[in-house]
Amino acid sequence: MPHVHVAGIDIGSTYTKAIALNGNREVVGTAVRRTGFKLAQAAEGVFEELLKASRLERSVIAYVAATGYGRYTAPFRHTQITELTAHAQAAVHLFPETRTLLDIGGQDIKALKIDAQGRVKAFRLNDKCAAGTGAFLEKTARYLGLTTDDIGPYAIRSTKPVEVSSVCAVFAESEVINHLANGIPAEDIMMGAMVALGGRAVQLMRRVGLEPGYMLAGGMTRNAAMVNALEDNLKSKLKVAPDGLGQLNGALGAALLGLRRVEKLIAEGRPIPPTAAQQGQTDTAARRRWSAQAVKKRVEPCTVTGSCPVVIKVLPQAVAAA
Amino acid sequence: MTTEILEAAPAGTVAAADFDPRVEGQRLIKDWYAGLAEAPRRGQHVANVFVMGNAVEILRAFDFQLVFPEINSLQTGVRKASGEYIRLSEDYGMSPDVCSYVKADVGLMLKENEHPVGRIPKAHLAIASNMCSTFIKWAEIWERWLKVPTFVLDLPGQRATNWRVRPGDAQHAADSRWVEAQFRDLIEKCEKITGKRFDIDRLAEVEERVNQMVFHWNNVMALNRMCPAPYNAMLDGLTYIGIMNVYRGAPEGVEFMRRLERQLKAKVARGEGRVAEERFRLLFSGTPCYVSMRRLVELFETWGGVFAYSDYLTFAAGGMDAGELVYDTSRPLESLAEITALAAQRGLSNQFFAHERLEQQIRDYAVDGIVFHGIKSCRFVSSGMADTRDYLNKRLAVPSLYIESDLIDPRYWSDAQIKNRVDAFFEALNQRGVPPPGDRKTIAAEAGRAA
Repeated sequence: MPHVHVAGIDIGSTYTKAIALNGNREVVGTAVRRTGFKLAQAAEGVFEELLKASRLERSVIAYVAATGYGRYTAPFRHTQITELTAHAQAAVHLFPETRTLLDIGGQDIKALKIDAQGRVKAFRLNDKCAAGTGAFLEKTARYLGLTTDDIGPYAIRSTKPVEVSSVCAVFAESEVINHLANGIPAEDIMMGAMVALGGRAVQLMRRVGLEPGYMLAGGMTRNAAMVNALEDNLKSKLKVAPDGLGQLNGALGAALLGLRRVEKLIAEGRPIPPTAAQQGQTDTAARRRWSAQAVKKRVEPCTVTGSCPVVIKVLPQAVAAA
Repeated sequence: MTTEILEAAPAGTVAAADFDPRVEGQRLIKDWYAGLAEAPRRGQHVANVFVMGNAVEILRAFDFQLVFPEINSLQTGVRKASGEYIRLSEDYGMSPDVCSYVKADVGLMLKENEHPVGRIPKAHLAIASNMCSTFIKWAEIWERWLKVPTFVLDLPGQRATNWRVRPGDAQHAADSRWVEAQFRDLIEKCEKITGKRFDIDRLAEVEERVNQMVFHWNNVMALNRMCPAPYNAMLDGLTYIGIMNVYRGAPEGVEFMRRLERQLKAKVARGEGRVAEERFRLLFSGTPCYVSMRRLVELFETWGGVFAYSDYLTFAAGGMDAGELVYDTSRPLESLAEITALAAQRGLSNQFFAHERLEQQIRDYAVDGIVFHGIKSCRFVSSGMADTRDYLNKRLAVPSLYIESDLIDPRYWSDAQIKNRVDAFFEALNQRGVPPPGDRKTIAAEAGRAA
């Protein structure tokens, strides 16, 4: 069914990601933008960018599956799936041997144990501490005067990472300031923060049960230093999707599940169900994060809007898997 | 007992509409609080007690008005006022890590006993026990702040793998004698405080009523083995257990439990469940999050998930969870000591041997998954969950979910985080597939008969 197109939208806490697939499970376009404060607007914006990037009309997208924390806020979605289920699906699609998956997100880390069909057998999420999340690295970078994109290239120069031992993100930041005051090079501090984060992430993987066939997903896949820190701790290699697709893993999983649903509906001769908005579930469309109430000034759109590093049209792995 | 219930369920002839357990339960709790506020005016003596290891039967024989500080604290949570009480105690200097029940009670004292439901009277006596180490510290606060005389019951118990106290064995006999001696001291103390002579016939009457309540309570729990489950163990069940504790040994308590059992039997006979379509039967292990319990249950019920059973209904029932714990009213004091010694063992062993007990309950209630709820306030009930979870996953391949919040501290409830975990749990359950409802009915009924 190559004429069928589906989209997966992953509305995460930091970035909103979208991917479009054709009926052969080939990637025809992607888009990424910062989520910001208005989740529904971020979903709509990324969908528009996705349509542009994939040169598709909105009417051509038969089915939209939303995932991520903001999954209920996309009014044009046909279904919503948690990112855990979505990640697991994409993981076995990209690397069929994957059994233990780690996703480091902006505000949480997920470790999943999955079976050969991409079903979640068990999962563990980090507790409420921010010291084990991508946001912790972003804050550390900010203290060191680095941008998010600089984190990886900068940290990889480190020769002697320092210890960042605190289990609390706020206290860890105090440690970072203390290290700076003691004249420790910024790259060693940055790498120290990554080693600390890596330790917490691998601990979570141990809690879910380490089963060979490790894969890393999420925005951290773009960060070679972080991948190194994780592999050192794990003492094993992690599979990472190529060409920035790791960040889009959740969206890809949602799209794959959406496509499977469409195939089933077509095979059974049933119509595509209406979207959430068509079903009258519009209450969530205007929902904002609580913190938006506190922000008085207008939030400018992020400059990286639409500049997704994914340039490929068709993944060789996807073709092989299909 | 269970087999009799399942086979002899009435054919829907009993009208259930005349009794709404939720409304009736709320009315009884309201009446109890009104009784508390009136106690000083009536000249009635007041005793602070905990729900476990509390010698309520003796206190009732002396006509004490009972105050349950744990229930006062949880009611601040139910009424969304706990944050204010906890803040007061933290302003005073208590750490965020202290049990939130204690802090809400300290907040209550700082507010001069003004509770959202009414004024809580000052106690003339407080009973604590070693069932929980916090109980002893908590009672010390009453003693220091309010000059309340405190009686700490020492309930003996050993812990080791495969170690059990069995009714009638030498260890149990020795434990019972030790507990009975303490009860005799307590009786002397009650006589001095109230100026009344101890009436052993009155104690026997109270015990008889407790026996009746326990009988109905066990039947009520067993009725939830049916598919669909007639009530949600973590919402409706919390109301029922509240009555079990507050009205333990009181005529109103017996009547409530009797009518509740009748109403649920009728519901089972009609095939009526808690939710329109019961898709997943679940077991809840741990303590509730009173401040968000309705929301938590809603998160599960939107997926058709019903808590058919919760171990909270056993360990928070003050040791009244097992059919064999029946008072021998021909020797009331000795029997009270024997059962208190056993119930204490059982209450603590429920934590130590949780995996074995849950394994049985998973079968009895034909559940599809277990939800563990760890709480910040109580590491005692939360710390063994990792072991239990690991055992059940590996031994029975039962899927489980771990969520964390608190009893009544609203700061520990993170809605987005918990919803995400709950949704993912159900997606995984969906992918596993469950037997269709028709088969489940048979499985649940057979599990009940086997028991």
